[in-house]
Amino acid sequence: MNVAQQLVNGITIGHSYALVAVGWTLLLGSARLVNFGHGQMYMVGAFVAWWVMRMTGLPYLLAVPAAVAMGAVIGAVMQMLMLRLTLEQNLVSLMIVTLGFGQILEGGAGFAFGAQPQRLVSPLEGIDFRFGPVWFTAQDLLLVVATIALFLVLRWVLARTVLGSWVRMVAEDPKLTQLGGVNVALVYMGIFAFEGAAVAFAATLVAPRTPIMTSMGFDQVIMTFVVVVLGGIGSVGGSYAAGLGLGLFTAFFGALVSPAYTTTAVFVLLIAVMVLRPGDLAAGRGFAR
Amino acid sequence: MKRAGIALLLVVVGFLLPRLLGGSTLVYDTLVVIAIFGTMAYGLDIILSDLGEISLAHTAFFAAGAYAAALLSVNAEWGAWATLGGAIVTALVLAAVLGAITLRTREFAFSLVTYAAAVVCANIASNWSFLGGSDGVVGIPALDLSIGPITLVAGTNTQFWPYAYTLLVLTIYLVHRFRRSRLGQAALMVHMNPRLAVMSGLDGQRIRLMVFLVSAPISAAAGWLYAYQRAYVGPDLFDTYFLVLMLTAVILVGRRNLLGPVLGTAILLVQKSFLSLGAYGDKLVLGGVLVAVLCLFPKGLASIRFRRPARTPAMRSVAVEKRIV
Amino acid sequence: MIPVLEVRNLAVSYGGDAAVAVSSLALQPGTLSGVVGANGAGKSTLVNAIAGWSRAAPRVSGSVLLDGEDVGSLPAHEHVRRGLLLVPEGHGVFLGLSVEENLRAVRSPPSSSVRRAFSVDEVYDLFPRLRERRANAAGSMSGGERQMLAMARALRLGPRVLLLDEPSIGLAPRLVITLLQAVRRLVDAGMTVLLVEQNVRAAVEVVDTLHLLERGRMIASGPVAAMKDDPRIIEAYLGASHG
Ligand SMILES: Nc1ncnc2c1ncn2[C@@H]1O[C@H](COP(=O)(O)OP(=O)(O)OP(=O)(O)O)[C@@H](O)[C@H]1O
Ligand SMILES: [Mg+2]
Repeated sequence: MNVAQQLVNGITIGHSYALVAVGWTLLLGSARLVNFGHGQMYMVGAFVAWWVMRMTGLPYLLAVPAAVAMGAVIGAVMQMLMLRLTLEQNLVSLMIVTLGFGQILEGGAGFAFGAQPQRLVSPLEGIDFRFGPVWFTAQDLLLVVATIALFLVLRWVLARTVLGSWVRMVAEDPKLTQLGGVNVALVYMGIFAFEGAAVAFAATLVAPRTPIMTSMGFDQVIMTFVVVVLGGIGSVGGSYAAGLGLGLFTAFFGALVSPAYTTTAVFVLLIAVMVLRPGDLAAGRGFAR
Repeated sequence: MKRAGIALLLVVVGFLLPRLLGGSTLVYDTLVVIAIFGTMAYGLDIILSDLGEISLAHTAFFAAGAYAAALLSVNAEWGAWATLGGAIVTALVLAAVLGAITLRTREFAFSLVTYAAAVVCANIASNWSFLGGSDGVVGIPALDLSIGPITLVAGTNTQFWPYAYTLLVLTIYLVHRFRRSRLGQAALMVHMNPRLAVMSGLDGQRIRLMVFLVSAPISAAAGWLYAYQRAYVGPDLFDTYFLVLMLTAVILVGRRNLLGPVLGTAILLVQKSFLSLGAYGDKLVLGGVLVAVLCLFPKGLASIRFRRPARTPAMRSVAVEKRIV
Repeated sequence: MIPVLEVRNLAVSYGGDAAVAVSSLALQPGTLSGVVGANGAGKSTLVNAIAGWSRAAPRVSGSVLLDGEDVGSLPAHEHVRRGLLLVPEGHGVFLGLSVEENLRAVRSPPSSSVRRAFSVDEVYDLFPRLRERRANAAGSMSGGERQMLAMARALRLGPRVLLLDEPSIGLAPRLVITLLQAVRRLVDAGMTVLLVEQNVRAAVEVVDTLHLLERGRMIASGPVAAMKDDPRIIEAYLGASHG
């Protein structure tokens, strides 16, 4: 085994996990919301970028913002429809509704983009860097840099800006937040728009690695769960670390044992954490760390 | 007495329903699937309505029942009664493991882990050749429940109807009994008023586990029958479609409504059978119904009729306060 | 004078149980009004309803006029934007935020507004203790310090009318006096305040008008000088030793 190469692979995969999970981490930390439509939003993000490139001939790097904008709109619309349930903190109904949104997105994407697997082509995939035995593409580099940047920006916004304070206020006590003159509904909408935009952004950066299909949402979301749970439910720093750790685990497990059972192995890891440290899952506050 | 009479009448009318609806093959096909999926939904109903948690692992219980029936009948050539036992035991084992893992998790953590469990089961089913891998298991024999001299065999959907219907009626009866049982009452208290439950000396974790163990075999029994009805099982049983179908069926009419899940299933499947919009369209419809019901009528469709007229403010007629200024 | 805040036929009920019914209540600009009453009399319910806010889901009817505009049907944050501010009972600060963040993360009135919003430095001058602890998490502060912080937050928002629900709860007797005197100074500077206070003895020293609430009804209202001699107040709250 080429250890250095697996290390590089693990880092890349790990950053992709963390990036896909970042929006959901914020959602969970601030609104205690679980979005079971997350995987389908990822799928739509990838397909919107693909469609924009195909229909308009725009280059990849311009298709990315288009997909991100679409993701933000989807997130905001979702939240507008769920506002009443969110304000009531009706978590059970909210979870089911997000599953419903996932179905809508999948059905809609099926109509719009067809059942064929497609490829989202990034020109950066073709640019290689080689350092001795180690090899990676410019796309990998972009993914890692963009993920680190997004996490740093998110942490900075949460910790240092008024907007971030509002998000933390909503997380701690939405009712009291209203008495600060803040329109809580708008904050929730912003959080959801961020979730949508972030997962679409992640999709445009990660999806060029594999073919895309409108049915891929379900599988896509599993790693996000694990990242969010292992990261300590809603902790921004935690989910970055968990994503990275999981990426390394995946890379080495795949190389040393078997790629087909990676998901299962990760799940066993999750169970171990749940059984040994159930207290971590009950938390959900203090996500800005 | 009167209620029992009405129930009996409903059971008889339900049995004759396919004939009352014309008795065409399509009617039988649809009703058999409604009965099977309705049964599957009741398994989830107990968790969702009585425990107040969302289990996303019930597709796995359903599939476990189906796989058990398929493998035991094809590979081990067991009879249908024996495979039913096998399906139930498989589901119990799975539920016990999952229940133990999720014992101390609540709300979204519980849902997350059950969902992850379903994904992993799907992953195993499509990779492990023992379970047929992505090809699944084919060649499941016709349902044969004959006891001694009484021949009970079903090949076509018309022949299947009595068995599917019996399973459904038994399940509804079981759920009815469960809600009146001590366990059902305890579960409701743990859900609605955990603090009071603790003060009454109820062990919440044990109750949750027990409810899980009651619920899983119900969905598994539906899967067992589905395996015979379709004569094939495969990883497609884990499709989120079944999960969303179950959830929608439970919430559509209203939670804790004894006939709710089967009516919800019926509404959804009649649309699929008679007004189908293709696979994508059906997904859109299912998701749309789910979102619309929960966002517009969070208590289900049954709440529309019973919604009380807006009350006049309770305190209009308050006497003018005395002033002593 | 035209009242700055006027409440008409306000009725509040929780799931069918009536909690408050007040047919009229008016606050004159630049005055300090006190609301007193036993536990469960409906004091919090009343001020919450005026602010259009509640942690529960009560049914509220009636109208609340702020400078003549009916704000009764607006969401809570719109009350705040118009300067009708509430410092709720008990938990009124964000424990996870630092003192300074608590003060900065409010939506201050637009600069075009005539209302006077306190700057962060001004509230520090008013409550020097907060300046000392500016970088600490609010969760690490004492109950009294939190009460100060909650009030300081409200001042940052430029109150036109300030509703204070038992700001002195959990404070040492001397601090109660200090706090109420601080409130009095704000009123003397032109602010309008409605103060819910359990400590009637301390309240009568600072308020202009006193309202007595009993089982949701306003059973007595008037200038504090007259109310001090009201037998019901004396008997229930001031004790035999008084005047
Ligand atoms: N969330 C609620 N749900 C149901 N009833 C409530 C609720 N909050 C208050 N009540 C009822 O309304 C009435 C008034 O309560 P409120 O809290 O306004 O009293 P209070 O005068 O502020 O008392 P205290 O001095 O203890 O703060 C009480 O009878 C109380 O039981
Ligand atoms: Mg009170």
